[in-house]
Amino acid sequence: MDLRLLTVQLSHKVLRAFGRGGSMPGRLALKMDPTFISKFQMPKIVILVTGTNGKTTTSNLIARSLEQAGLKVINNHRGDNLNVGIATLLAANSDANFCIQADAAVIEVDELTLYRQFKALKPTALVVNNFFRDQLDRAGEMETIIRKIQEVTQNFTGDLILNGDDPNVVRIGDTARSAQVHYFSVCKNAVSTDTTNEASEGKFCPRCGNPLIYSYYQYSHIGRFICKHDNFGDITPYTYVESIDYQNETFTVDHIQYHSFMNTIYAIYNCSAVLTVMKLLGLDTKYANEVFTNFKMSEGRNEVFALSKPCIINLVKNPTGANEVMKYIVAQPGDKNICIFLNDNAQDGHDISWIWDAHFERLNQSDVKTIVCSGLRAYDMALRLKYEGMEDRIQVIEDKEKAIQWLDQANMNSYVIATYTALHSVRAILEKESTK
Amino acid sequence: MKLKILWMYHNLMDLYGDKGNIEVLRYRASKRGIEVVVDTCTIGEEKDITDYDLFFLGGGADREQTLIYKDLLQRKPQILQALDNGIACLLICGGYQLFGQYYLDQDGNRIDGLGIYDYYTESSDRDHRCIGNIVVETTIQNQTITVVGFENHGGQTKNVSTVFGKVLSGHGNTFHDGTEGFMNDQTIATYMHGPLLPKNPMIADEVIRRALKKNYGDLQLDPLNDELENQAHYTMVKRILKKNS
Repeated sequence: MDLRLLTVQLSHKVLRAFGRGGSMPGRLALKMDPTFISKFQMPKIVILVTGTNGKTTTSNLIARSLEQAGLKVINNHRGDNLNVGIATLLAANSDANFCIQADAAVIEVDELTLYRQFKALKPTALVVNNFFRDQLDRAGEMETIIRKIQEVTQNFTGDLILNGDDPNVVRIGDTARSAQVHYFSVCKNAVSTDTTNEASEGKFCPRCGNPLIYSYYQYSHIGRFICKHDNFGDITPYTYVESIDYQNETFTVDHIQYHSFMNTIYAIYNCSAVLTVMKLLGLDTKYANEVFTNFKMSEGRNEVFALSKPCIINLVKNPTGANEVMKYIVAQPGDKNICIFLNDNAQDGHDISWIWDAHFERLNQSDVKTIVCSGLRAYDMALRLKYEGMEDRIQVIEDKEKAIQWLDQANMNSYVIATYTALHSVRAILEKESTK
Repeated sequence: MKLKILWMYHNLMDLYGDKGNIEVLRYRASKRGIEVVVDTCTIGEEKDITDYDLFFLGGGADREQTLIYKDLLQRKPQILQALDNGIACLLICGGYQLFGQYYLDQDGNRIDGLGIYDYYTESSDRDHRCIGNIVVETTIQNQTITVVGFENHGGQTKNVSTVFGKVLSGHGNTFHDGTEGFMNDQTIATYMHGPLLPKNPMIADEVIRRALKKNYGDLQLDPLNDELENQAHYTMVKRILKKNS
């Protein structure tokens, strides 16, 4: 019996009873004891999921698949991936003796939190999706993140489940001396290209500095690469997606067909990470397929609201995510309005220069009628579009509610793009406006 | 009229949206009826620097700086010649550092600079960087103006003879330094990303004027509609300075 744990558990229960979630109990716990997270007796299976994009989706897919296979799973499914969120998750699912009451823990961990809490969480497996430039001002440079993760995984003896098509991720497999390394990889397919203007990383071999040669790109710097000089990137995939059928929203691995929960290339990568986990745990991948088939994306991921005409909202956090969302938007037929909410709070990243690394020129299409710029950095967003020659189609409406009302009154299909701290309030406004 | 820009190591030294500066220069010069040529030049590529009016070099992580500096040093005689011929330089972050004496990185590795200017840069330790919004006051064309941007650098640059501006909020050349960047008649060098030019149209036009000077002497540029630029500028300046008071 530990009084501190009891206090944290009680505060969690009280908050829950009042319909509130949040990370307050975890914050309290870590204030009382900074080593709180290391106190727990973890389940036999502890899977950590990290990377820049797709952490929440991938960890949810893994957790639901394990549940489908009959395991009791704890999971920070809403994406509370900092130490306070993780502490809350553990306390809420522990008995009075710090023993986690589950067969498996699937924990999404922020890239920066990962190296600080890696040992404390006693992982049996680490899944790494990708590393893109994201909110760099928190850490300095992405390079630092990769190096720190390399440091903590150097002597890790569990399973490393890594995106074999991201050179930044393969670096982790390259320096892990004791881990079982398992790569997932995706074949050349209908969206693959021979060249790219999206890749800002992965240009040079991390071992020798010679250029990496790509046989194809999927998106950003994700693709099949090799260093001709020292064979960096010459991987043997443990899970290899052999084909993708975008018409029927399916893909195949080891001649077995799976449904994709979303018809995009990055969704296929998330699925192949999940399949790797299932295979390594000796669980039937049919359970994962059941989850892929019925999976509902989290809030703000391609979510539809009924304004006067349908309005689809997407969260963006970085150039790569923004590029993929914009590709999706301009691929939808018909006239449309777009509204971009750009904030620069801590969780968005104080530095908004990433909008200049993203390909906003993609929106310069004749059926994109008006682009409303809103949020704390509305004018920065407007300038970005102005310098892509869209000056005559920009509307700056700093106030979020007024921006959504404008979309509603325009009576046209619309697409909303929002950064992290804008998402919640914009969704609330959309909910309110769509019931009017 | 023609403006020839040389964008150095565009594929390596391009951090935090620095490429946006090129877009702004291209747009603002074209609006004035100036023909703009932007050429890129990366490692091992032959380009005659003396042929250009503006030399642009952005920032990069330590890794990228290590990759390019030898190639850059080989070009020193040409860069000196180009400066003699009147080329203008816009240098951001890593580009700024590389025109100085040397850069000592986080691991204590010394990267030699071009040594064109007297300043030198030593990296702080990995966990301490100058990060955040920054407002600087500088004088351009006898006018005192504010410049707003975002800094993110470990490097501490010292021994700067003529600074770009006075820091109103933020760090600058070193932690809480009070001064930011380097500026002389030909070169504007700064830690300010953001990128620098979209929200600071006065600086953008100053860079264009300096570049055109090589072939056309002192010019005045026609004013443009900078309503959005000024809104973006003053929204941030107000917000940042208010936070400090």
